Amino acid sequence: MVPATAAGAILLIPGSRPDIIRLTAALFSIVALVFSVYTFVAYDHGEGGYQFQRQWQWVESLGISVHLGVDGISVPMVLLTGIVMMSGVLISWSMKDRVKEYFVLLMALVTGVYGTFVSLDLFFLFFFYELAVLPMYLLIAVWGSTRKEYGALKLVMYLMAGSILVWVALIAVYVEANLGTFNLLALQEVGFAQDFQRIYFPLFMIGFGVLAGLWPFHTWSPDGHVAAPTAVSMLHAGVLMKLGAYGIIRVGITLFPEGAMDWQIPLIALGTINVVYGAMAAMAQRDLKYIVGYSSVSHMGLVLIGLATLDRVGMSGAVLQMFSHGIMTALFFALVGVIYDRTHTRDIMVFQGLSKRMGLTAVFFAVAGLTSLGLPGLSGFVAEIMVIIGAFRTYPVVGVLAIFGAALTAVYILRLLARVFFGPLDERWAHLTDATRLEAFSMGGLVVMLVLVGVYPSPFTKIINSGVAPLISRIADVT
Amino acid sequence: MELAWLLPAICISAFGAIILFGRSLPAQGAFLAVGAIVAAFGLFWPIMNDLVNSGPGHFSRVWFEAGDVTITLGVTVDQLTVVMLGLVTAVAMAVQVYSLGYMRGDSRFGWYFALQSFFAAAMLGLVLVDNLLVFYVTWELVGLGSYLLIGFWYERRPAAEAAKKAFITTRFGDVALLAGILVLFKATGTFEMREIFSMIDAGELNPTTLNLSAVLIFIGAAGKSAQFPFHVWLPDAMEGPTPVSALIHAATMVAAGVYLVARMAPLFVASPGTLDLIVFVGLTTAFIGAAMAMVQNDIKKILAYSTISQLGFMMLAMGSLGFTAGIFHLLTHAFFKAALFLGAGSIIHSLHERQDIREMGGLRRRMPFTYFTMLYAGAALVGLFPLSGFFSKDDILSVVLDERGAVWFTAAMIAVGMTALYVGRLIFVVFFGEHKGEAASRAKESPATMWLPMLALAVPAAGLGLLALPFTDDYQGIGTFLVFAPIGAHAYDLKVVVFATSVAVSMAATVWAWHLFYRGGYGATFVREYFPALSRALENKLYIDTLYQWVVDRVVLAFSGLVAQFDRKVINETGVDGSGRATVLSGLLLRYHETGLLSNYVLVIAVSTIIIVLIVITKT
Repeated sequence: MVPATAAGAILLIPGSRPDIIRLTAALFSIVALVFSVYTFVAYDHGEGGYQFQRQWQWVESLGISVHLGVDGISVPMVLLTGIVMMSGVLISWSMKDRVKEYFVLLMALVTGVYGTFVSLDLFFLFFFYELAVLPMYLLIAVWGSTRKEYGALKLVMYLMAGSILVWVALIAVYVEANLGTFNLLALQEVGFAQDFQRIYFPLFMIGFGVLAGLWPFHTWSPDGHVAAPTAVSMLHAGVLMKLGAYGIIRVGITLFPEGAMDWQIPLIALGTINVVYGAMAAMAQRDLKYIVGYSSVSHMGLVLIGLATLDRVGMSGAVLQMFSHGIMTALFFALVGVIYDRTHTRDIMVFQGLSKRMGLTAVFFAVAGLTSLGLPGLSGFVAEIMVIIGAFRTYPVVGVLAIFGAALTAVYILRLLARVFFGPLDERWAHLTDATRLEAFSMGGLVVMLVLVGVYPSPFTKIINSGVAPLISRIADVT
Repeated sequence: MELAWLLPAICISAFGAIILFGRSLPAQGAFLAVGAIVAAFGLFWPIMNDLVNSGPGHFSRVWFEAGDVTITLGVTVDQLTVVMLGLVTAVAMAVQVYSLGYMRGDSRFGWYFALQSFFAAAMLGLVLVDNLLVFYVTWELVGLGSYLLIGFWYERRPAAEAAKKAFITTRFGDVALLAGILVLFKATGTFEMREIFSMIDAGELNPTTLNLSAVLIFIGAAGKSAQFPFHVWLPDAMEGPTPVSALIHAATMVAAGVYLVARMAPLFVASPGTLDLIVFVGLTTAFIGAAMAMVQNDIKKILAYSTISQLGFMMLAMGSLGFTAGIFHLLTHAFFKAALFLGAGSIIHSLHERQDIREMGGLRRRMPFTYFTMLYAGAALVGLFPLSGFFSKDDILSVVLDERGAVWFTAAMIAVGMTALYVGRLIFVVFFGEHKGEAASRAKESPATMWLPMLALAVPAAGLGLLALPFTDDYQGIGTFLVFAPIGAHAYDLKVVVFATSVAVSMAATVWAWHLFYRGGYGATFVREYFPALSRALENKLYIDTLYQWVVDRVVLAFSGLVAQFDRKVINETGVDGSGRATVLSGLLLRYHETGLLSNYVLVIAVSTIIIVLIVITKT
């Protein structure tokens, strides 16, 4: 399976020369991407369920096994990881400082992410989840910028706190089920008592929610982004935040459908706060990364709303939004990185008329921005409209607020575009050069994905639907 | 019928081709765009023929399945669609040919034509689709085209700002539109217009749903069609190239709101309260637009406010159940206003980007084709018999008289009089009298690529009104061709009262304008002399923009600043760093329990590992 390939990459990489390391990393990213695409294409959405299963016993006495497999929810996530990783490796091409360690950690992080998405064993799911988080600390603290130690420490403390909640809940599940197994497929058939579900669902909701940027546990996210180097920001916002939402759906809602019902209103309310609050906060920022960081908080709010609707359209929309936002935000951070590389600043007030010198960057930024504000024809619209339809069917007020949040997004995104890229070119920036071929290529792939999903979402919605439908029927069973 | 989807498809292909290969093609690929729109105009005729022979048609395909909801891409061709298709392809074709001359030498010539194709595709899609969600998609894409074209010269700060303002202002209307669509969806479970209409006909929807969705959808329409109080973006949008103003901000996109109301006629008929709102908003807009047009000195701004005013008339018709009249006026207005804009563009071009009418004057002899176009188109706008504007405007006036009574009719008539005044001012100041500036005395007629399309638009601008009349056995006038189901056929008839008053008012106002402005200096002063306070208010756009700016700066941005501060101070510093410090503090207290020696830690780890392994082994 895919993560093994990535893990292999790490072992092989400790070489001597940076160019070989880079090449190896790129090579393995390509292999991983090919596998991801294969998984996406070969997954039979007509049949649904968990496919490509592999199982190896690890600690039989505790019922821990390496059990891998994907369903309609994890397939798009695997694809997302492959794409963002590829793009992230290419964008770090010019990285000069401690190349070897950098790529090793990057690969470790990606292994963790892949592992989480394909594990069907809760122990390993958690293990990989932690594996994904830890390299972040080093990546930010060593290769970061602005207040990097603070950002890194805060990020890890937060995520650790979240992990503790998750771990407590996992142990509780293990004990309560008393099946002597961590196997998700077995555990999901248990049907936990309602009180048990009611007590432990919020642990999953908040524990995983921290990583998804759930308000008011989101502040690590903008600070972390600002501190992180480009590729790490891309992976972080593009993929890592999705782990949180994935955890809520895969572990929380799957195991505790009734608990999810009970906690529906708090979760949907927090998600709505995320959307509007994130957009408002983004509007007042001047640093490009803070803007994108808060916009991630806002967009992840839509994912949370979608999950909380427990409605088929809404939840499918949430998963698609995870994919779409992952690609979009990776593109955003790549672009910010390109601009920062050349100007060494991210303050939008000092930019003016950059499109004159950086035409392609401006076009890509516009595409990312338009996706962000939900323009039809790009992936964000399809995902958001599905979430909003779901919200309208459950709580119309939330739906209206979510649309309103998208309108606020238009305000700060267009303000940013007008500020940074339009207007007369400032003398100071007359020497700037546009994105290099490699940068353009690595970002171009992301742009193509945004347009592809926006214009022809059918393959995605079909696969996601096959993953969400069983969940919905489980929820329907308990009500 | 099956050809209909080809229209937007051809245009979007031209867009793609220019984007991808434009740089290596002659003229940066502009001919692809023009070729596409000519092809679309050519295809319009068989489609219309098909409609006349075999009636409305419909077909659809699945776009994607969102959970248990299926979104279809459907196309319906009925009379309303065909009228709009003809309008959009014809005006777009004229404008693109004109642009070949107007935009020549621009460094982004290819990009301009790519955007023109993109816009045409979106606009054609908008009038074809029959699914509300897909309609919203095209609605937004049209807005994107407008945004990009207003900001075409984005190095100019005002253009970039105007593009942003247009997009955001309409976007807030779009929030309401989408909410309205979803309210209907929640009640009916579908986005298909036909299904929704049949449920409305069957009386299956409760009044709350109907009223709520009708009001919300109207707000969306008002945003796009620059109705009061959303009108502020349209005058600023004049920062775009003039052919763009002609196509998007006079003939097509701004009319999309009016089209939406007509398309959703069954919904609005079922919600009489909303119709009252529409009448009120429409008449207010007609007045405000006409009043502001009277005090402007920028030739494009005069036309922009005039467009606002005319869109108000169309909405007034909609609210008075005159759907046919409103669409008829939309049609004639598209031609005469586009002709006026192209004329204005021709003047601006020849005067080297001067737009102030006080620097023009006496252009009649220097630019005969432009003069001819603007004279006829302007007279059509005033509504002089027998030009096109006369028929459509009289149709509106008579439905207002029938449905709303004498008070509203009189008010509308006053706005008609104001129209004659500002159009008279425009024509007389620009084309008659002395040259009032260096540039004006050296002006010369624009090239044929520009005046030919202008004349081509001037002909329908003058003659299209005849569509109101029955001229064959099959065609009994627009009132019986363009039928809105809930209202039924409505033959065009000239009421003597309406005819007499409207002719009298327009003629009198035109004569008055002649008296005021012919030879009369800059002609900008008459309102100022008679009503100084009013004039100041009008010149300051009735302070509406100022109010919005204040709300944005002082309320929205201040509030968002507050949220950001709250996030930093309260949540981050108190909540996060605070708990961090508390932890550090407790850590300081607890550190005496820890030795800090690595060997001790290793020992603990080793021992615990052994214990765990032992447990594991004993269990198995």
